[in-house]
Amino acid sequence: MDKKKLAKQMGVIALVIVLFAGLDIGIYRLFIKRVISHHSPGMQKMSVEVGNYVPFTGSENVFSVKDADKLEGDIPVIDGAAALLPVYAGFVESIYPESSVIYNGETYDAASAMHYTNTRGAYKDIVDGNADIIICAAPSDEQLQYAKDNGVELELVPVGSDAFVFIVNAGNPVDNITIDQIRGIYSGKITNWKELGGKNIPIAAMRRNKNSGSQTALEKIMGDIPIKPDYTALFGSPIGFSFRYYVTGMLGEGGVKILTINGIEPTPETIADGSYPVAGNIYAVYRKGETNENVKKAIDFMLSPQGQKIVEQSGYIPLSQ
Amino acid sequence: MKDKTFIAILAIIMVIGIGVTAGLMIHGYNLWKEISIVEMIANWG
Repeated sequence: MDKKKLAKQMGVIALVIVLFAGLDIGIYRLFIKRVISHHSPGMQKMSVEVGNYVPFTGSENVFSVKDADKLEGDIPVIDGAAALLPVYAGFVESIYPESSVIYNGETYDAASAMHYTNTRGAYKDIVDGNADIIICAAPSDEQLQYAKDNGVELELVPVGSDAFVFIVNAGNPVDNITIDQIRGIYSGKITNWKELGGKNIPIAAMRRNKNSGSQTALEKIMGDIPIKPDYTALFGSPIGFSFRYYVTGMLGEGGVKILTINGIEPTPETIADGSYPVAGNIYAVYRKGETNENVKKAIDFMLSPQGQKIVEQSGYIPLSQ
Repeated sequence: MKDKTFIAILAIIMVIGIGVTAGLMIHGYNLWKEISIVEMIANWG
């Protein structure tokens, strides 16, 4: 009798151990294994290291001009999108006094005239008065509403452009996509790569946080078509989106492939001549009625031949092209 | 095995199991937060 009871108890203990082991192995394989290599030395190199784009450090990633007039007096606080960090780091190095940039090795000091808070933070900061100029893609409807609710009108001055690109894993055989197919994928009508001439694998339609620059760009492509949440995303082969230079320049394009859209590759030429269908402006954004004259001076510099050269050298498309 | 001993062993296993599961989920969530969409696609064919 005791032996039977003991066997039963041992069986229960073994079952509980096996169930936990199965659950934990499942969590590891599904959630962790897919991103763990991000922390390998190879993937670390792909991360956007803010420290590589700090002005006045002699960084080879920051392009600036030496003979531009420096701003004096009330130095405007500048901020912007991750993808555009090289551009405004170049502007800052060209016309800001070196003493106005305070970088502590990991982040910019609150007292620094250059910040880096990404698109969502930058649009909030310009409305709240924590930044005076931001360099970003177009704002989302929600960001415009936030400005309106706070009685702030934003002026958007185009200072360059770049392509919005769709990316897949380098091993995905699909090379091209159409705008209608993009709308089909993100509205949930197209769910398998075989519908695009690829393998019989579900499409994991990845998206970004609301109000990020690239998510706003996707919403503009979708128009009135609602973006459907993809609950099966973990099990498919992914498609994602970003800005061209963020993929090719800042992240080195390792392991990903940019799709042509309607057969057009996003090159400086096709973006400049408008043949690539989803190019978008880069804006210098400031508050309407801004009284700090240095804001106008800074934007005038961005639009000048010197400023446009920085846009081009940083990997984006200048206005003059 | 006495019932009390059995329950105690089971409780210890449950506590360890739930702890490991929660730890893995927190670790996984932290990794996912850090990775960009481009890196994710590069990793995840």
